[in-house]
Amino acid sequence: MSEFQVMRHIFFLSVLCGFLGWCGISSKILSAEQQYTEIEVIDGGNVIGNVKYTDDLAAVGLNLYRDWELSDTSKIPSEKLIFSKINNGIKNVTVSIKDITEGKKKVIPTIHPIIDQQNNIFIPHVVPILTGTTIDILHGDEGMHNIHTRSMKNQPFNLGTTYKQRISKKFDYPEIIRLSCDLHKYAYAWIVVFDNPYFDVTDRNGYFEICDIPPGTYKFQVWHEELGNLEKEVTVHPKETTSIEFVYSQN
Amino acid sequence: MKPKVLLDKIGLWSATAVASIAIMFSMAPMNAKAEFKVPTEVTELGKDTYKKYCSPCHGEEGKGDGPLARSMLPKPRDFSRGAYKFRTTPSGSLPRDEDIYRTISFGVPNSTMIPWDVLTEEQRLSVIPVLKSFSEAFEVRKPDPPVEVGLMVRPTEKCIAEGKKIYEEKLECWKCHGIEGRGDGPSAAEQEDDFGFPIKPFDFTTGKFKGGSTPQEVYLRFTTGLNGTPMPSFAKELTDEERWCLTYYVMSLIKPEETKNK
Ligand code: HEC
Ligand code: HEC
Repeated sequence: MSEFQVMRHIFFLSVLCGFLGWCGISSKILSAEQQYTEIEVIDGGNVIGNVKYTDDLAAVGLNLYRDWELSDTSKIPSEKLIFSKINNGIKNVTVSIKDITEGKKKVIPTIHPIIDQQNNIFIPHVVPILTGTTIDILHGDEGMHNIHTRSMKNQPFNLGTTYKQRISKKFDYPEIIRLSCDLHKYAYAWIVVFDNPYFDVTDRNGYFEICDIPPGTYKFQVWHEELGNLEKEVTVHPKETTSIEFVYSQN
Repeated sequence: MKPKVLLDKIGLWSATAVASIAIMFSMAPMNAKAEFKVPTEVTELGKDTYKKYCSPCHGEEGKGDGPLARSMLPKPRDFSRGAYKFRTTPSGSLPRDEDIYRTISFGVPNSTMIPWDVLTEEQRLSVIPVLKSFSEAFEVRKPDPPVEVGLMVRPTEKCIAEGKKIYEEKLECWKCHGIEGRGDGPSAAEQEDDFGFPIKPFDFTTGKFKGGSTPQEVYLRFTTGLNGTPMPSFAKELTDEERWCLTYYVMSLIKPEETKNK
């Protein structure tokens, strides 16, 4: 093919091309890596709290069901937003301290946290871990699955798996990673990697606790897959427990 | 298809693909030679070549958003994530320079990515560092060593039957690729790539494999997976022999009569 033909080829394509929007990418890299020094925390304080939603959750306009073609009464709730009817608390929100530079020892669990693919969904749905942690991803169903991540700094993977397969993967960089199965589109989980040991994920009533924080003032950050980030400055007092609340609202 | 016919067919391909294999498998030793040297840094030649020939589709910054990309499907590769489909390295790994060079030289069948053999070898090599410079991934990670391609086994009837069993029962390739390999399995319609664009499982009946049509190349595709797409790596699930059998079975799905009209 001559150069002329190539350029003509390109020109021809440009004539053919219409307009289409550009799509975003779903894995975000967390704030730049930070220095973190391990010290002995003697007079540390604790922070406990709750993450909730103020307004009527029905008004958020989210489809709270997995889009499977089932009748309304037998639809299975999606895991993308789980909240408590008692206190409006939201499950599966990660809470972390964004700007902490020194504190307790980073302890990498020797027993690997597990994500199990069972009945075509991943359990648990949100798994917060410390950098350097290895996760074991299990396959508990009889059919085929694949486990697919789209991370950038941590090496991504997409592996086909069959019954009883166990895949171990180590995560070395802070990143929010979506793990999904392309054969069961509504099956996905989040692996949230932090580079300091001060983090937690909310329980079914939206509660969390973070302990042994050296006294000082910090930026606390919460993240939820649908509702996004919130930040709050919190002062931690020696040997005291401070109670805080994060409230997502429609505006 | 009878094994003998398949053997003949494979023989024929190998003949036509001799050049490609020659380049692919001799790259490593050739690296030692001066003319096959990939520049370690972005050069003027690389920048010029990229700007002139590649950026209209792949975009100035390598985001796959050049002026020609708009309604094109499949999309020109967005290089910013370091996700390359056609590799000799394991799932998720970055590609080796040889892998990138192969794609540039042979193009991607069934897409607008033509074989860039109009460019000199030097030009093709010079764009490799430019492509890599678009992704942060190459700063943080290194490509893993290539996967091992075991000794080829013969495509006997028994072996092909075993391949069929893997395709239909053990690994359920049909869920995406369809029972007859037409890319129309029950999960096919909803497939999306990592960039959020729809993607079709490959239609084996066409025989125009994007990553090359030799048995070695087909073997590599499902062993390494296609990064950035739903196509997984099956490295952990199969022995080497099973992989060759699956390769032969997949290649037996090619329908030459139909391919002619395509
Ligand atoms: C006419 C548009 C067009 C031009 C010009 C073009 N490409 Fe592409 N390129 C594509 C498309 C489309 C794909 C994706 C094909 C697919 O995924 O099926 C692609 C894919 C690629 C890939 C992907 C390899 C992989 O393993 O995923 C590389 C590398 C590449 N192009 C390099 C180049 C280089 C280098 C140039 C310039 C010499 C160039 N391209 C010019 C359209 C183009
Ligand atoms: C989750 C869906 C899915 C499953 C399961 C799947 N594939 Fe694929 N496969 C794809 C998609 C999508 C592509 C096309 C990617 C592209 O066009 O870039 C593909 C491409 C391929 C290719 C590459 C063809 C080429 O153009 O070079 C081969 C070979 C292949 N698949 C074999 C298999 C085999 C063998 C299995 C079972 C062991 C399998 N696939 C299972 C989705 C799947």
